[in-house]
Amino acid sequence: MAVSSILARPAAAVTSPWLLAAVRHRFLLAAAALLLMPALVPFTALATSILVYGLYAVGFNLMFGYLGALSFGHAALFGAGAYGCGIVLASLGWPWWLALAAGTASGFAMAAALGTIAIRARGIYFSMVTLALAQCVYYAFYQAAGVTGGENGLMLPALGRIRVAGLALDGDAPLTRYYIVAAFVILALFALSRILASPFGAALEAVRENEARARASGYDVAATRLLAFALSGAFCGLAGALQALQLSIVPIETLSIDTSGLAVMMCLLGGAGTYFGPFVGAAAFLLLEASVSVWTVHWQLAVGAVFVACVLFFRRGLWGSVVAWVGR
Amino acid sequence: MVDEAASDAVGRRAVLTAAAGALAFAATPFGVRSARAQERPIRIGFPTPLTGPYGAEAQNQVAAAQLAVAQFNEAGGLAGRQAELLVRDDKLNPGEAATRTLELIESEKVDFIVGGLSASVQLAVNNITRERKVLFNSISQSDVINEAKDFSRYTFHEALNPHMTAGAVGRYAFGRFGKRVVYLTADYAYGHEMVRGFQAVGDAMGVMTLADISHPIGTTDFSTLMPRIQALKPDILCLCNFGRDQQIAVKQAADFGLKRNIKIITPILVHTARVAGGPAAFEGVVGGTSYYWGLESTIPTAKSFNDAFRQRNGGRVPTDYGSMAYGGVRSVLAAVKAAGTADTERVVDALQALRYDFYKGPEYYRACDHQAVQSVFIITSKSKDMASPEDVFSVLSTEAPDELHLRSCAELGHA
Repeated sequence: MAVSSILARPAAAVTSPWLLAAVRHRFLLAAAALLLMPALVPFTALATSILVYGLYAVGFNLMFGYLGALSFGHAALFGAGAYGCGIVLASLGWPWWLALAAGTASGFAMAAALGTIAIRARGIYFSMVTLALAQCVYYAFYQAAGVTGGENGLMLPALGRIRVAGLALDGDAPLTRYYIVAAFVILALFALSRILASPFGAALEAVRENEARARASGYDVAATRLLAFALSGAFCGLAGALQALQLSIVPIETLSIDTSGLAVMMCLLGGAGTYFGPFVGAAAFLLLEASVSVWTVHWQLAVGAVFVACVLFFRRGLWGSVVAWVGR
Repeated sequence: MVDEAASDAVGRRAVLTAAAGALAFAATPFGVRSARAQERPIRIGFPTPLTGPYGAEAQNQVAAAQLAVAQFNEAGGLAGRQAELLVRDDKLNPGEAATRTLELIESEKVDFIVGGLSASVQLAVNNITRERKVLFNSISQSDVINEAKDFSRYTFHEALNPHMTAGAVGRYAFGRFGKRVVYLTADYAYGHEMVRGFQAVGDAMGVMTLADISHPIGTTDFSTLMPRIQALKPDILCLCNFGRDQQIAVKQAADFGLKRNIKIITPILVHTARVAGGPAAFEGVVGGTSYYWGLESTIPTAKSFNDAFRQRNGGRVPTDYGSMAYGGVRSVLAAVKAAGTADTERVVDALQALRYDFYKGPEYYRACDHQAVQSVFIITSKSKDMASPEDVFSVLSTEAPDELHLRSCAELGHA
């Protein structure tokens, strides 16, 4: 996969101390941006959607941007998280925070299971295998209507009054819910920055840049690919679980091929292989969709045009281009 | 080693960009708040699938809902207080519908929600409105929404449900055309609900189910199924599917010559599907509907509704789904007027007590599940003597409103 060609790679190394500090503290800066977002977005439900889909794109980006494997089946991981969280909430009556953990674990487990099969393939074959597997997952969940609600979707109770660290909060107040979701997304971003800064993170990029060379250097390529897939599943699973809490429903469309495509689109739009790009991509896509679809039913035309323009003129995505421009 | 330059640098420029974005945003419809004087208008949120396969249906719904709002305003509103309709595209996707509903409630602060055009979408919307105690009047067919687990004091259902339509068509057809039946069913909740509705009627009449053949949604080729159906020699073929599936199934049944000795019936014969499918394929097909514009010759309220709709929409007529949108919005606004306030609790009480006839004859909401008790019309497709392109059906009979045709409250789980 020649993913590296579209990644943000400025020619010169970063020298300015101001920039170095920004790179070093990118987690804190990203967290601050997310905490400020509700002030910039027209309605809170949309801001929460940007968080959720941003995190989903982050999970996808770990596979695509950092490992260089293009998956067309990430909806299976997102959906596994949403249903994992939803089923324990609806059928077993677990508390919400435990349900989030269950969703994350479901995403991880689903990715580990699918990854075991899929990572044997490379390039376009990997994309096709993930696509096929995701369709199987969709069908399995669709048929298991007793547990998943099938066609009608899975209905969940609203979050309602919750207690966090001794504070009584109203989980249905839009802003409160936004910050609950944001807390988990920021936690995930922290985990991501630790993963990327670890030796494993370096191994990821080594495999992306030159697999044969990475293998010759003593890296276990297969294990690296599988672990990346599973970690990606954990991020996407958490995103799915948060989506379930936000909408209090898990529709079967969560597992559909469109949802897989959304991850690809948002990641490319924002900038593959950048730390904050997926959020920028999610925000750009959702804001466009929300504002244009109020004006016209042809909103897909506008979103499509922007996407084409991005692919043609901003090969590195919106955020990737900003990063490259600042670092030039 | 992480390639530092590949990571981002959030800083002054990013903040500036964000600020610019925020400014640009203030210019979008979100930034604009309809600032009418002192009193806030009564706001009705209207999620409907403007994009997707039911776009044409949705457009007609919007036009009809706008008409109901305009008539309320022209009649002086609520002591001068006007109403407005906030249309949102739910893209026929429950997740999107849920997000838009949250937006309508949380940031647009709508008083009521009317809409939805698929069973799963209306259940998603209902799941949110119910928790937030916002009145929702659903205008899409569903059996589930009447059931106790999905019902709430704030849930109303203006549309028919599969049990009612299939029941009415069954009562009409089984006695007339025969008792040996084959079902061709779209394999999803709604398809199976229709079969269940037919069988509830059929069992009492001694009707025999020869086969219930399922097909996936979006099937374009029924040619393998048609000979199978023919070999079973049924009197009646029930098409328990919708939209394009129904259009294709009807056409292929005609091509295979099934109509020579088999009567084709369907719970809902949809106006737009018939217009798209053409007269030849649909000839002689019998089905049910909640409304057909041709009723204006016998029902005065249908006449006045059609005339008002034509006047605003360049002579076009309202479709079956459009009429439900009109009824759904108008009944909520009538309840507002009756209650003398837009306060949800009092409007719910007023709507429960409402007896109305706005477009199709008398209706009311049943106390236990808020299902609109209303007439069902049995229609058949015309192929000759069509006065206009919209003159597609003739009404064979009318089943008057009757709670006995609904599933009982106990059956639905209401105490």
